[in-house]
Amino acid sequence: MERSPVAVDQNFSGATGDFPALLRSKGLLASAVIAPTQDAGTPQKVWQPTEATTILAFKFLGGVLVAGDRRATAGNTVVYDRADKVLEIDRHSIMAIAGVPATAWEMARVLEHSFQYFRRTQLQEMSVDGKVRALSKLLRDNFGFVMQGVGVVVPIFATYDSHPKPEPRLYFYDAMGAQFEATDYAATGSGSPAVRGILYYENNWGAKPLHKLIEDEAVSIALRALDTAAESDTSTGGVDRMGRIYPIIKIVSREGITTFPENKIAAVFKETVA
Amino acid sequence: MIEEPYRWVEAIANRREYIEAQLASGSPITALGYRDGILFLTIGQTRQKIFEIYDRIAMGAIGHPGDIERLRMAAIELASTEGFTRSAADVSLRRLVHYSLSPVMKSAFEQVYGPPYLARMLFAEVGERPSEDLFLRVEYDGEIATKGATYAQVRQDFAVLSGTRQSGELMEAFLKSQHAADASFEATLNSALEAWSIGHMSLQDSDSNELPERTAVVKYRQEQLANRGIEAALLERDASRAIRFRSLPDTELRSLIND
Repeated sequence: MERSPVAVDQNFSGATGDFPALLRSKGLLASAVIAPTQDAGTPQKVWQPTEATTILAFKFLGGVLVAGDRRATAGNTVVYDRADKVLEIDRHSIMAIAGVPATAWEMARVLEHSFQYFRRTQLQEMSVDGKVRALSKLLRDNFGFVMQGVGVVVPIFATYDSHPKPEPRLYFYDAMGAQFEATDYAATGSGSPAVRGILYYENNWGAKPLHKLIEDEAVSIALRALDTAAESDTSTGGVDRMGRIYPIIKIVSREGITTFPENKIAAVFKETVA
Repeated sequence: MIEEPYRWVEAIANRREYIEAQLASGSPITALGYRDGILFLTIGQTRQKIFEIYDRIAMGAIGHPGDIERLRMAAIELASTEGFTRSAADVSLRRLVHYSLSPVMKSAFEQVYGPPYLARMLFAEVGERPSEDLFLRVEYDGEIATKGATYAQVRQDFAVLSGTRQSGELMEAFLKSQHAADASFEATLNSALEAWSIGHMSLQDSDSNELPERTAVVKYRQEQLANRGIEAALLERDASRAIRFRSLPDTELRSLIND
């Protein structure tokens, strides 16, 4: 008997809710093969992760704040000064990216569809642990490209967990897909050493620890941190005072995701940073 | 058997009779387009009958749960793949049903040595305006009935699904006179509940082919709601969100019922 044009069979991936598996079965998700190349044995020479950007996130009184600068670079060249690296995945989840934009945005797209596909097929929301693991798996599958010197992505994932107790959750990853839960803050990208220093200092010896900050204070610290990163890291845009380009700042709370409006960022910047 | 045309026709007719009998007890589902979206509603089922398919598409179904699941999964797979490779705006209910689901159901129905899909489905896609809402009903044999957004007929802002043709026709007759595309949510909810009651009454008493008295409908609805729950979902017209589907809990609706 001839197969129908639409495969409505028993082995559909819908039964498990696995969207990447569905994409792979249709040949829509490329995965790199980790094969020995001429440079085998010295992968460090091929793999030079630059992750040229600065992304930071920390927990504060109102949830998790995630901020990212707007600069996209290729080597020494600034190619774009309005890049959005803080991406909304669903109503309560944000993925912020440092790394190769093409891979990162594709990953965000797969992730977004995965969560929705799971909810629609399984008739229940994917757990936070499941979501965190899904991103980890995408990074792991991408590692072949990383080894070939293209496509490195090092993300931060922020979400709000309603079960068992309502609380914000924050994770950072390495390029191979290892996931680490951050208790207070996380930073990634080429400007992250400076940011990490500031957040560590603020958290221990600042006026208040990070988790006690109110919204405006949190935004102020995020802006100061990004500005500091931009001071020494050419790949980080920080705040463009001439062009009035401000970082993207989003907040994940129990109610969902809110984007901190640009005019309010400008006001906080003028008052406490500039 | 299928080498002989007459035997094939007979086999198909038997199969149709068998499926119609199986579906005849299926409790009605209504989908009503109104000002702020489309309301899907049914009453008192043990298993879920209204489902989210994609950002702007929902489905209600009666039939065998195994068949409904296979078709639901297929619809979600097709919509998700299209939404991922192109964009959410390219996912279209018309294409999904006409090019993918209907042909599959037709061939399953007509291949008399294989099992048919024992299911009747109602799909709706919410548009930017009520005039862009699309309702499609798909039968077990792949037949498609369209309500709204068609070229040849007067458009209707609702669609119904029921176990028998007579039950569905009575519900449609009622909604044609009672429901308007610019109705409020509350009015829409009450129309949906009454339409369901009319359809369900017809399933219990198939002799009557006229609309029952209003007082009888209200009484029936009150009896049914006393010990059964409302299953309802919305496709919201609000364009600020990508995902328009939202389940409505029973408790949120009860206070809005007019008695």
